[in-house]
Amino acid sequence: MTGGRRDRLAGFAFVGPFLALYAFLLIYPLFMGIGLSFHRADLFGARRFVGFENYARAFADPIAWQALWNTFKLTVLIVLPLTAITLALALALNRATRGAAIFRGIFFASSVLSVTIVTLIWRFILTPDAGLVAKIVTTLGGTPPPFLSDPNLTIPALAITTIWWSVGFPMMLFLAGLQQIPADMYEAAALDNAGPWTRLFKITLPSLRRTLILVIMLQTAAQLQLFGQAQLLTAGGPSGASRPVVLLIFEVAFGRWELGYAAALAELLFLLVLSVTFIQYWAVGRAAKEER
Amino acid sequence: MNPRARLSPAALVAVTIGAAIMLAPLLWTILLSLKANSELMRDTASAFSGPYTLENYRAILVGSSVTHWLLNSLIVSLGTTAGVLILCSLAGYGFARLDFPFRRSLFVFVLLGLAIPEQAVILPRHQLFAWLHLHNSYPGLILPGLVAPFGVFFMTQYFRAIPVELDEAAMLDGASRFTLFWKVLLPLTRPAQATLGVFTFLGSWNDYWWPLISATRSARFTLTVGLASAQMNYAQTSGLGFLMAQAVFASLPILIVYIIFQKQIVAAMAGAAVR
Amino acid sequence: MPSLELIDIRKAFGATPVLDGVSLAMEAKEFIAFLGPSGSGKSTLLRIIAGLETADSGEVRLEGERIDTLPPGRRGVAMVFQHYALYPHMSVRENMAFGLRNAKVPADEIARRVEQAAKVLEIEHQLDRKPAQMSGGQRQRVAIGRAIVKQPKLFLLDEPLSNLDAALRMRTRIELAQLRQRVDAAVIMVTHDQAEAMTLADRMVVMNERRIQQVGAPMDVYRRPANAFVARFVGSPAMTLAPATLVGDGDYARVRLGDGSEVATRVPRAGLPEGPLELGLRPEHVRVGDGDNATVDLVERLGERTLVYARLADGRAITAEDNGDSRVRIGDKVGLVIDGAAAHLFGPDGAGYHAEEPRA
Repeated sequence: MTGGRRDRLAGFAFVGPFLALYAFLLIYPLFMGIGLSFHRADLFGARRFVGFENYARAFADPIAWQALWNTFKLTVLIVLPLTAITLALALALNRATRGAAIFRGIFFASSVLSVTIVTLIWRFILTPDAGLVAKIVTTLGGTPPPFLSDPNLTIPALAITTIWWSVGFPMMLFLAGLQQIPADMYEAAALDNAGPWTRLFKITLPSLRRTLILVIMLQTAAQLQLFGQAQLLTAGGPSGASRPVVLLIFEVAFGRWELGYAAALAELLFLLVLSVTFIQYWAVGRAAKEER
Repeated sequence: MNPRARLSPAALVAVTIGAAIMLAPLLWTILLSLKANSELMRDTASAFSGPYTLENYRAILVGSSVTHWLLNSLIVSLGTTAGVLILCSLAGYGFARLDFPFRRSLFVFVLLGLAIPEQAVILPRHQLFAWLHLHNSYPGLILPGLVAPFGVFFMTQYFRAIPVELDEAAMLDGASRFTLFWKVLLPLTRPAQATLGVFTFLGSWNDYWWPLISATRSARFTLTVGLASAQMNYAQTSGLGFLMAQAVFASLPILIVYIIFQKQIVAAMAGAAVR
Repeated sequence: MPSLELIDIRKAFGATPVLDGVSLAMEAKEFIAFLGPSGSGKSTLLRIIAGLETADSGEVRLEGERIDTLPPGRRGVAMVFQHYALYPHMSVRENMAFGLRNAKVPADEIARRVEQAAKVLEIEHQLDRKPAQMSGGQRQRVAIGRAIVKQPKLFLLDEPLSNLDAALRMRTRIELAQLRQRVDAAVIMVTHDQAEAMTLADRMVVMNERRIQQVGAPMDVYRRPANAFVARFVGSPAMTLAPATLVGDGDYARVRLGDGSEVATRVPRAGLPEGPLELGLRPEHVRVGDGDNATVDLVERLGERTLVYARLADGRAITAEDNGDSRVRIGDKVGLVIDGAAAHLFGPDGAGYHAEEPRA
């Protein structure tokens, strides 16, 4: 394109405002955070360089390991069922009928709610004295399980809440993936006498592989950073049994005011999330290449 | 699979049960919100039968903080959405159409931002905003939301998909750079603006962590933070019906947005998956 | 005053040259067609005239004024794009008015010009439609209308017919010819279709390999192609070129083909270069007659005439013409009768040598 020098200036005028904010509010804090993790610092600005001390402390901290283990359990308990459920939903609802559209609307609706509202709703489903589950269980003559206080039940309770909240997005991703499969592949398969199960396993699922990887990786990255549900529903309790890493970071930073240590924990989690993201790019890229 | 084919009976039953599980919590919440607080104190099972009342909703509208939080949420979400649309449209056009030094490297630099999660920057950002005295202010709540690398990527792709012939026609029609951007290309990105706008609004409306640590005074609470504090303090107030009415009330704007923009949301999902 | 002048235009994209010193002068109100295969540089040349590309060196002048230093909108040219490039969000009226608004033409003048152009193009009832609501042919007219209202000194048409189906293409070709009578400006059309160029243009500029190969009136180019490339490219089906050697003597060249047969041409022997020659024969100058000097490969029956693709004894392919009711079938042995008086010769460098024209 023509224009030469004026275009050069115009280019910066158009991308400049975003780049300035981006550098100042994302890139600068990113490096600030790395710096912070090498300091002992409080919220009021006092700081002292301590090298890798915060990191050493993190690796020796049983609470940090507990939080990591909780995060791992939550991630597995959420991502696997969520992927299976949303894939099944997408397969069932990939139809041009009005009923399917209504069902899709219902399953997506919870996704637009905020975490505060979701936990508010689920608190009064799960609490043993007043919750919906308790009312149903007592009516049937049972004892309501203490979802929000039994250390063995808090993590499943958080997982159920999160799954209920999150089905919409992956379902839509799968539906979009299904739309991409050319109809003539099914027509060809029908001419080849393939039954419904053969078609599912030989055509549909292989064609969805890229979406499947995408869903699993996106959800893993998201659930590694699970925060609001745990903070609001169980407060990480009892005694840390349901405290994920991000909640620990939040408590260390804004409860104990140990910013340096919190920053170190945040950097470690960042590394974990980053590796998941890179695995995702790599795997999706490879799947895309093989499809060609 | 024939997209017009009916569901098998077994699948239909499973899907219906699933839908019931999705809807039951919402209905339960609505029922609770329609009951007097005193009745719920005795037994929440009373929610299954009348009498129902709108008293809790009346209490929200007269002199609760909820309306104020709603206003804060609207200001923050609309501000963020407008800002993101402006910044990303400008940057998207710049990256897609203009030639300037380091254009490719800068675009890659922006894409790297997609891999940076909020938790990696939120603590230092909190410090930064404290130095700048931006906490408990609308700019303090809006500014972090404006950093949307995905929005820039999305708009850049959209601008790239517009045929360059249109730019050339406009140049032969004597249009200036600005006229070309404002009158020819920007109107063509309206579908992308709608999609990006809806997503930004949803994300900003539901954002929890940043307003939780930035807005510490009730006067600057957004709905999410306000309802979180109400939820934490619920034991003291014991107004369960009132609390649930707040939840329903707070969900209404976003559900309305969802119903109006359902098509854009679905289209955006498709776009995200194809990418 | 000459209309458009191109003076030694050169252009390279990086290390790849695309135009190697192109010069051209257009007469006032002339219709010129740039004809050439893709990659010949014809589109780049058009874009340089429009200001969408910048030449590395050389000058572009329009009615005496140097325009290559001006932005596209100020050059006094209008362009009809290959894919029309109509603004999809604007109505037809707004599409046509956009350039005039940018040029700050008064509103009533804009309205007048748009109405007038719409009338000429018979789209006055569609002025409030969006391009998406119109057929391909109608969009083409809007694109032409958008150019007309600007009252440019020069129209640039980039492959204007390539997006239309066969029937519409014929009609639009006629319309373009009529339009050309109405507008008070010069026209340049880029095309790779020689039939289009021959029907519409006053002069054709045949381009290949970054250069102008020949400039001339369509029939001159057809009858006296400057070189072997032009000979092959202009005319359909293409001219047959066969290696030939000069034999005997006399005022006119006499050549022998690969199968041993000899052809007496009317090309003056004086001036022919040394070295191997090629004999050029248009199909209409090779008739099918009695005999057995060729074998038929393919027969293309066009109704009023029949094209016969045959092979000489040495395997050389040659295209001949027969009557519409020809009985020739694939595999037949036929005798080809060559009208040597109409034959062309091409030298080792490709340069063309033609029969003396009795009328000239």
